[in-house]
Amino acid sequence: MKRLGFMIVILSLICLLAAPLFAADVIKFGAAISLTGKLAKEGNLVKMGYELWKETVNKKGGIKIGNKYYKVDIKYYDDESDPNRAAKLVEKLITEDGIKLILGPYGSESVFSTSAIAEKYGALMVQGGAGADKLYTRGFKNLFGVYTVATEYMDDTLKMLQNKTPKPNTVAIVYSNDIFSTQVAQGAKASAQKYGYKVVYYKDYPKGTQDLSTVIVEIKAKNPDILIGCGHFQDTVVIVKQSKDYKLNPKAIAFSVGPTLPDFVTALKGDAEYVFGSAQWTPVLKYKDPVFGSNANFVKAFKSKFRVEPNYHAAGGTTAAIIFQRAIEKAGSFTDINKIRQALLSFNEETLFGKIRFDSTGKVVGKGMPVIQILKGTQRTVYPDNVAETKPVYPKPAWR
Amino acid sequence: MIIVQILINGLLLGGFYAVIGVGFSLIWGVTNIINLAHGAMALLGAYITFFLFQEYGIDPFLSLPFSFLCLFIFGYILQRFLLNLVVRAQIFMLLILTFGIEIFLVNFMTTFFSADFRSITPEYAGTSFVIGDIVIPYIRLAVFAICIFVTFLLSLFLNKTWHGKAIKATSLDLDAAMMVGISPAKIYALTFAIASGIAGVAGSLLPLTQAFSPSIAGSLTLRAFTVSILGGLGRVEGALIGGILLGIAETLSSYFIGESYKNAITLGIMVLVLVIKPTGLLGKKYFAEVKH
Repeated sequence: MKRLGFMIVILSLICLLAAPLFAADVIKFGAAISLTGKLAKEGNLVKMGYELWKETVNKKGGIKIGNKYYKVDIKYYDDESDPNRAAKLVEKLITEDGIKLILGPYGSESVFSTSAIAEKYGALMVQGGAGADKLYTRGFKNLFGVYTVATEYMDDTLKMLQNKTPKPNTVAIVYSNDIFSTQVAQGAKASAQKYGYKVVYYKDYPKGTQDLSTVIVEIKAKNPDILIGCGHFQDTVVIVKQSKDYKLNPKAIAFSVGPTLPDFVTALKGDAEYVFGSAQWTPVLKYKDPVFGSNANFVKAFKSKFRVEPNYHAAGGTTAAIIFQRAIEKAGSFTDINKIRQALLSFNEETLFGKIRFDSTGKVVGKGMPVIQILKGTQRTVYPDNVAETKPVYPKPAWR
Repeated sequence: MIIVQILINGLLLGGFYAVIGVGFSLIWGVTNIINLAHGAMALLGAYITFFLFQEYGIDPFLSLPFSFLCLFIFGYILQRFLLNLVVRAQIFMLLILTFGIEIFLVNFMTTFFSADFRSITPEYAGTSFVIGDIVIPYIRLAVFAICIFVTFLLSLFLNKTWHGKAIKATSLDLDAAMMVGISPAKIYALTFAIASGIAGVAGSLLPLTQAFSPSIAGSLTLRAFTVSILGGLGRVEGALIGGILLGIAETLSSYFIGESYKNAITLGIMVLVLVIKPTGLLGKKYFAEVKH
């Protein structure tokens, strides 16, 4: 009996030690993402980005560590566009599902809440879904993001316009009062002052408001050269519509969010013409990529899988996953969190999203913010000059 | 002069709020049902107009009667065969039921129409007529005119036709109404149908002035709620006054205090009205209270 007992113990020990060898050769990632709710559209686009990466990597055999290939799998939960729910779901991913490689949700509020959970449990998060500066001021070590941060959103736009003729001197800034938009506005104000503009109007409106007639009328009285709107798709449409209603005619209208989404032109038709938008990424930027070969290849692969053009939400998702993959390959491990973190901190590669490098807080640096303009009903990349498709049109003709 | 522009904006906006609110107010006053699905039903009208415009190029204003008809039928069926089963129950049951219907409708729209924000920009969008410094957009003016017209028609219906008077009678005294041969089930269904139809019309006017998606259903219901409280339940004229008041309150508070406090102030006004004159500015006695 004693011998049998001893045998059983030895056998169990062997099984325990050998278990990792028998464990499926799968690297598990986890993501809580907004598949329903206010941010459902963007959340689903990010998920499509993750899925395309997963499919592409697995087709090549998987992530290579040493001589072995590991397939990847992603476990998703729907956070219903609710940051609190997202946090709970990420906690579930880490504590119940045992996943320590977290792909980020969409939206600054959700990334804010979920990254705190990841930090608490020592899990890593790479996200391509939020750009609020506040994300990187908490001294966290485990969060990395590929979006240019909110305060830098309008910088390139203002830089681009400063030397155009007739020279614009005054700027009106209007913004939605959520974390992200407020920071974009603050950055826009700082950038405007940096480039010598005078800020003649600077006010916020409630998130998701459906009527901005008073604000438009007030701005009209100040007669600014440039109108900058920092909000989300819904309010951007309202601002353009009501600018036309009340005949507000600045020389340039630029939005932080909105013009890059295809629905912008669908909703506004001809009224979308000449509007500028800031883009984290556009399909025509000529960047090389470690997984897809080039940005153009990524666009082609996305189109053939999903039958729609990718936008920056999807591209951001794919890039976050690519960066995770490259860091794991460099670290030579998918379980050693410290090694992977080191690899992320020393990351310095060109990806489909741009040249990616992180500072010690996990914020991406040096990527810039390309500018697009709606011309003849299509989105054209007009800045930076060396990757632009065409020149920007300025000033904007008055509403008829 | 900017204040005149602000007041006019508020007035025009108010007409729209009146139409959103009048159906809600009518249902509440007559059948005692607080229809939390009101905003969602208005959105159904919005989608009907949107798709007619997108697929067939039908002018949004021409789609209004069609929208009214569709929501009328929908409302009638909903009330007659579903809500009628619990209309005598505690008000809590009704709230839960209409809340459930709201959730169902919103998710239905999100699943089949997607959560994308939609908007319509017809050829004549953005045209306005200008008097000196004041700009009055044609579309907003047309929306206001339609709202006044609908309110007028409804008032006419309630006061001059047999069915309309039957609706008023039912809300005043159910037993007496039954004694004179009015079938409450049919009247309730008719009221709900009319109110739904009007909600559909209100929704149809949405795509012209802003971007909508299933996620704004709640805020529309809230507006309807506020308008009803301000104007008094069941009173068509009350809804009109309440709507205009709300519109002007919003634009004025946005101008004097700031756009971000707009919601706080309008809800504050609603609370004030509830405290000072709970029956609303025009309401005499709460219609349904006359029941036993």
